[in-house]
Amino acid sequence: MDTQHIRNFSIVAHIDHGKSTLADRMLELTGAVEQRDMRDQVLDDMELERERGITIKARAVTIWHEYRGERYQLNLIDTPGHVDFHYEVEKSLQACEGALLLVDAAQGVAAQTVANAYLAIEGDLTVLPVLNKIDLVHARPDEVAEEIEHSIGIDATGAMAISAKTGKGVSEVLDAVIREIPPPAGDPDAPLRALIFDAIYDEYRGIIVYLRVVDGRIERGERIRMMGTDKTYDAVEVGCFTPKMKSTGALSAGEVGYFISNIKRLGDVKVGDTMTHFRGPEVEMLPGYREPTHMVFADFYPTAAGDFEGLREALETLSLSDSSFSYEPVTSDALGFGFRCGFLGLLHMEIVQQRLEREHDMDMIQTAPTVTYKIRMEDGTEDEIHSPGQLPSPDKYEGLLEPIARATLLIPAEYVGALMQICADHRGTYVRQEYLSTTRVQLTYDIPLAEIIYDFYDKLKSSTRGYGTLNYEIVDFREDDLVKLVILVNREEVDALSSIAHREQAEQRGRSIIKKLRKEIPRHMFEVSLQAAVGARIIARENIAALRKDVTAKCYGGDITRKRKLLEKQKAGKRRMRQIGNVEIPQKAFLSVLGSAAEGK
Amino acid sequence: MKTAGDESSTGSSIEPPRAGTPLYVHVPFCAAKCHYCDFYSFAAVATDSEGFVPLLMREAERRAPLEPTTVFVGGGTPTWLSIVDLEALFDGLDRITGFRRSAAEVTVECNPESLDVAKAARLLELGATRLSIGVQSLRPEILESFGRVHGPRQAFLAFDAARTAGFDDLNTDLIYAAPGQDIDDWEQDLERVLGWGPTHVSAYHLAFEPGTAFERWRQEGKLARAGEELELAFFERTHARLRSAGFEAYELSNFSLSGRHCLHNVNYWENGPYVGLGPSAVSRVGRDRFGNARSLETWRADVLAQAGPAWSERLSPRASLGETWWLGLRTTRGVSPEEARATAGFADEIDPSLAEARALVEQGLLAERDGRFALTSRGLPLADAVAVRFLETATAPEAVHES
Repeated sequence: MDTQHIRNFSIVAHIDHGKSTLADRMLELTGAVEQRDMRDQVLDDMELERERGITIKARAVTIWHEYRGERYQLNLIDTPGHVDFHYEVEKSLQACEGALLLVDAAQGVAAQTVANAYLAIEGDLTVLPVLNKIDLVHARPDEVAEEIEHSIGIDATGAMAISAKTGKGVSEVLDAVIREIPPPAGDPDAPLRALIFDAIYDEYRGIIVYLRVVDGRIERGERIRMMGTDKTYDAVEVGCFTPKMKSTGALSAGEVGYFISNIKRLGDVKVGDTMTHFRGPEVEMLPGYREPTHMVFADFYPTAAGDFEGLREALETLSLSDSSFSYEPVTSDALGFGFRCGFLGLLHMEIVQQRLEREHDMDMIQTAPTVTYKIRMEDGTEDEIHSPGQLPSPDKYEGLLEPIARATLLIPAEYVGALMQICADHRGTYVRQEYLSTTRVQLTYDIPLAEIIYDFYDKLKSSTRGYGTLNYEIVDFREDDLVKLVILVNREEVDALSSIAHREQAEQRGRSIIKKLRKEIPRHMFEVSLQAAVGARIIARENIAALRKDVTAKCYGGDITRKRKLLEKQKAGKRRMRQIGNVEIPQKAFLSVLGSAAEGK
Repeated sequence: MKTAGDESSTGSSIEPPRAGTPLYVHVPFCAAKCHYCDFYSFAAVATDSEGFVPLLMREAERRAPLEPTTVFVGGGTPTWLSIVDLEALFDGLDRITGFRRSAAEVTVECNPESLDVAKAARLLELGATRLSIGVQSLRPEILESFGRVHGPRQAFLAFDAARTAGFDDLNTDLIYAAPGQDIDDWEQDLERVLGWGPTHVSAYHLAFEPGTAFERWRQEGKLARAGEELELAFFERTHARLRSAGFEAYELSNFSLSGRHCLHNVNYWENGPYVGLGPSAVSRVGRDRFGNARSLETWRADVLAQAGPAWSERLSPRASLGETWWLGLRTTRGVSPEEARATAGFADEIDPSLAEARALVEQGLLAERDGRFALTSRGLPLADAVAVRFLETATAPEAVHES
């Protein structure tokens, strides 16, 4: 294929603005998928993606569209919309020359619209604004176009108005892709350079590498070198996605497709790496790879203390298909052997946890997520802290630093006052405020990441009735008056329940944790005392009164089997608890440290 | 499981009971269904019992043990049956099992509305040694809320009739911690019943059992439990009052004068074998526990078809061990680890129940005396919470199936 007849593009959008629906419609319209095979979210394979209606991994598909009598190859690279998968979006965009900026014409510009649009602009992509859902009665395309101009600074006067649901305007969008987005600039005769923009694990075929050929041509049977890792592989199969994998034998400059070799582990492939021919001419590496940054850490422990190896195997298998989380063994006094895992964000954490439970049948206890802290030593060196338990006593370090996120909040104007209060309550520092239209405001605050994780996101959602959106990026580590908030159960410190808090908030947080624990921990045959402490000072306490009476009145020959089954059911409930000292603590209690659990969501 | 030969579905055929195995007979008929009752029983009309005793005899011929050491005729209300039916029942059972010579104790459950001197006297002649009378309460409003069809006076008259007829051994069934019940009223009831001179008192904390009207009303918010503190006060006051009257609390809800324990029930708590006849009746023979259908019609059909049990379970020795502890700890006599292992057929080197028992001694919930473990006064009202600990050490039953 000559590059003049190729277009590579992406759709960037906020979650729920209709990206997957638009992709579905394009596939249908171009005949890539027969109508009878059509199901919602064709590109979202993972069970979790369909269930939650989100895209977790980027996907690619090659479709064909005729424009002014000529046939064009369009490569659509689907991207995730959620803030946690920011990095996946960045990789996908790198393989494109243009992007459709899809905005819900009723809901308007949202935080991830802006964040992803900027990624496209920074990547020097041609950005075409598209207003979706114009069939809705409360669609307000003119206002939203204005919002796009104000928030992103691109001309939106000619924004296409479509309905991905009904298919209205979709064909015109494809025309515009061909007309407006430049063809790939690569040289088909130059030595091979291909960008790895994604990789997935397939149970039957091993690792499938997603690539965009920048220069030259790659053919089946050739020997390939990954420039970053300096590993060599044979091209067992090369092809494109239609959306099913279709072997084509070769891919040339400008084209997008896949590459299969005998690669076993996802960790062996570095997304962002450059592929070239083994012993071919020297080429310059494409700009690319950086390690994903783990912003959130949480510990996973097997519920049955002996199942540590089972958890390790499950994590290993899962890491074949998701290389963006990390895990390392950790020991807790309270919970025994487990793993500390690093995630891109809270949603990512939740997805990993659910995949472990569903796909690997793991029964786990998860501790409340925490952020990475840094301690500054007397000699000026810094150390990272990934859990409150790692924090040495205050005399062992000079200062404690926490990650600061620059948070961009897009909210309806009427909620500005409430949001500013919430930001202040979460130790936010005001940066700026901009009106995108008369009804929508963009607020920018610097907020400690720990506050965002604690309950900020929930507060934002509940105080804006779901209309507020958030995007953030870590901009700094700052020192603050942070203390370790220790929780004691029957006077024994439980490391898995400890957290780091600002000194001024410690008392209120401690009280809230203890209150929640009081609700979560069942009564025992003895009194259970719960205390929160900072240093030697007890700042909150509650007692769980002893169970006084629990007895079956009558138990004769005809009752025994049924009563035993009832008691066994109680016993089964206890299996999901962890015993600390004499106290049985249910799984859920370990999340009490998190503020958002308070409202019982 | 309703076809003949289905006994094989437990994995192996259920063995016949040994001679001497205690015998239970279930009579499901009542004058009215009480709102708290979860036994298989129903408000019956005269035609319901037609053919009942002959069917029971058919079942007895096939399954009843020879020379049972105890017999318990329960229900339901056995005295709902006519004297003619009762004669057929006792004479038939004796012909099949020889219980009149072998049984040291033969209990019949009665309700006040269906017991008079003539019937009591006839029961004594037929071989009954002990009557258990459903008194439940001496407050008219509480009896009414229970759905009972008798008043306090009728309960007294029934008790007096049993005494007049010549029964020595008399139990009264009572219920406490009912919705709206006053604890001082309850103590007064207890006082008055003790004044009648029973040799045995069964005092039950009212339980809201699944499937009962009371439980439904509780879920609908029409009734409320007394609440833990009040329930505990009822429990403790009941124990104290009966103890001071010379009754031994030999089981959590059962109190008796010296030597007047109900032997038949003691066997249940020792996890001993027993055979049950009649609809819903349960048997334990060897390692199997199995039961009849909880429906008069289904039971009738099963007996006629000579079908196997409606459900059965076989416990592993380890599960059986946990169960033996659970049941045994309901009694003041408590549990001997050696006896429990023998009962359960548990032969492993390490006895998991023993370790659990020692831990509970540490916590002050159990006490060990003369090689037996029993609940302490603090442990008594927590018997179920303690029991769960023993079941925890048990593995899941090897095979359980239910129709």
